[in-house]
Amino acid sequence: MLEIKNLVFGYDKNSPVLQGIDMSLEEGQVGILLGRNGAGKTTLFKIMTGALKPDGGRILFDGQDLLQMSRRQRAGIVAYVPQQLDFGSLTVYQSVLTGRVSYYTVRPSRKDLDVVDEILCETGLDKISCRDVQELSGGERQKVAIARALAQQPRVLVFDEPTGNLDIANELLIINEAKKIAHSKGIIVISSIHDLNQAMFFGDKFFFMKDGTIKYFGGPETFDEATIKDVYGVSARVVTENGEHYIQYYKEKENE
Amino acid sequence: MVRPLISDFRKKRLFTLGLLLAVIIMAIVCLFVGSSHMSVSECLKALAKKSSAANNRIIWNIRMPRVLAALIAGAGLSVSGLIMQTNLNNAMASPSTLGVSNAAVFGANLSIIAFAGGFLDTGNHLSNFDVGANPFSTSLMAFFFAVVSILLILGLCRIRSFSPNIVVLAGIAVGSVWTALTTVLQFYATDVGLSAAVIWNFGDLGRAMYKTDLIMFVTVFAGIITFIFLSRRYDALLSGDAVAISVGVNVRLLRFVSLLLSSMITAVCVSFLGIIGFVGIICPHVIKKIMGQEHLWSISSSALAGSLLLLVSDTLSRSMGNGSALPVGAITSMLGAPFFIAIIFRKGGRH
Repeated sequence: MLEIKNLVFGYDKNSPVLQGIDMSLEEGQVGILLGRNGAGKTTLFKIMTGALKPDGGRILFDGQDLLQMSRRQRAGIVAYVPQQLDFGSLTVYQSVLTGRVSYYTVRPSRKDLDVVDEILCETGLDKISCRDVQELSGGERQKVAIARALAQQPRVLVFDEPTGNLDIANELLIINEAKKIAHSKGIIVISSIHDLNQAMFFGDKFFFMKDGTIKYFGGPETFDEATIKDVYGVSARVVTENGEHYIQYYKEKENE
Repeated sequence: MVRPLISDFRKKRLFTLGLLLAVIIMAIVCLFVGSSHMSVSECLKALAKKSSAANNRIIWNIRMPRVLAALIAGAGLSVSGLIMQTNLNNAMASPSTLGVSNAAVFGANLSIIAFAGGFLDTGNHLSNFDVGANPFSTSLMAFFFAVVSILLILGLCRIRSFSPNIVVLAGIAVGSVWTALTTVLQFYATDVGLSAAVIWNFGDLGRAMYKTDLIMFVTVFAGIITFIFLSRRYDALLSGDAVAISVGVNVRLLRFVSLLLSSMITAVCVSFLGIIGFVGIICPHVIKKIMGQEHLWSISSSALAGSLLLLVSDTLSRSMGNGSALPVGAITSMLGAPFFIAIIFRKGGRH
C-alpha cells in the first residue's frame, strides 16, 4: 500500500506548489492525477522518484518511508516512465538494462540479464532488442521506457503523461499495457492523463488536484459536472451509455 | 532466450581490437619516421641501443617520449570530450568546456610574456636546467590557471545548479575572461614575447619528456579507469537526469566527479603540450556514430581513436614540415574534420 501523507513542497518559500498532499493506493490499483497544467502533478512525481526533496510530509510504501531510503532501495520500489523519451544511441536491450544500474557496477549479473530477458519477452520487445532505440516509433519507444522501469522490479510505477506523444492506437495500446501490468503484477501505477475519457477508462482511483491539494478523490463516480467545473473551469456533463461513462464538453450559453 | 549483448559484444570487440592493432602499428611507424631519415634497420638497432650514440638518442630521447605523449594525450583528450558530451548532454561539449584551454593559454602567456621577458627557452627546454630556471615554469603556470578555472566553475555550480546548460554557459563566460586577459597581456608584449607565446599555443608533442609523459599517464589512466567504472551510469544518464535519478544514480555527484576528472585530464595535457584542438570533439563523435553510445565500449574505443588520430597527425606533421614539425593541432583538424563531415552527412544517417 502506498500512502502519501501531508506532502509539502515549494520551489521557493513564497509560492508553495504542494500544500499538504494526502492520498493512498492499494496494490494493483491505477491512480490517476488530474488537474490543470501547473497543478503540481509533475512535481509530485519528481518527489516520488527522488528528483526533488519535499519540505515536509512522508511517502510510505508498506509502512516504510521512501524519503528516508537510500537511492538504491528507492529504485527497487519506485520506477519512472518519463514524458520525454530520450535514450541516446543505445540498443533496446541496453536501454532496458539501464533499469538495473543500481544492482551492478560494470558487469551485469546473471540475475540482471534474466530479469531483462523476461521483461523483453513479456513486452514483445524481444524481436527488436538489437535495434537502436532512436530508430523506433513513438509507441515502441514508450514500450522501451516501460520495460526499463519494469526491469527495476518496482512495486510502484510512476507514469508521467503516458499518452502525450502518441497517436490514438498507440495511446490505447500503452494504456492497456499499463493496466495489465498493474492488475497482473500487483504493481501500483500512478499516472497523469489530460484526456478525461482516457483517464476514466485507465484508472481505478482518481485524484483531482487544485491549489496544491487533492481537492476531490474517489472512484469513477468522482467525475461530475461540479467537480470538472471547479477543477478545470470547463462545462461538461457525464453521459452514460450501455453502462459506460463518457464526458462531453459543451459551451455554456451566455446569459446577459 | 534473447541475449543480443553477445552478438553485439563480438562486433564491438572486433572493432575495438582492430583499433588497438592500428594504434600499435601506427606507434611503430611514428617511431620509425622522422626528419633524420634513419633506415628501419638503423631504428631497430637504435631501439636496442646498438646504433650510433646520436641515433640512440633520437629514438630514445626524442621520438619515444613523443610517441608516448601522442598515445596518452590522444586517449585522454578524446575520452575527456566524450565524458563532457554525455554529462552535459551537449554534442558540442569539448574537453575544454570549463574554459580549461583558455585558462592554460593565459597562464602560459603570463609566464612567457610577463615573467620571462619573452625568452623562448622558458618552456620545457633542457637548456634551462643550466641557468637554474624551472623548465616546467610555463607548464606549471598553465596548469595552475587551468585548475583555477575548473574550480571556479565547479564551485559556482556546486553552490547554485549543476544543470548542463548552466555549466556550458559558465564555461563560455569564464573562458572568454581568460581570453580577454590574454589579449591584454599580448598587447603589452614585445615582439619576441608575442611570438614565443603564440608558438606555445600551437600544440607540440615535441615538448614531451618522460617525466611529463608519466604525469600525463597517471592522470589519464586514473580518469579512464574511473570512467569505465561509471560507464553504466552514463548509459542511464543518456535518458535524462530524471530517469537516471529514478534508477538510483546520484546524478549530482556523478556529474561533479566526471567534469572534474575530464577537465583535469585536459588541464594536464594542455599544460604540457599546448592546445591540441578537435581531438576531443571529432573522435568521440565518430566512435558514437560507428558503435553507438554504450559507454563501456565508446570510452575504450574513443581512447584508441584519439591515440590513433594524434599518432597519424604527428607522423604527418613531422614528415610535411621539411625538417621542423608543423603544429600537430592544425594537422589533427585538417585530417579529422573531413572524415567527421563525411560521417555526419553520410547517406541514410540519422540526425
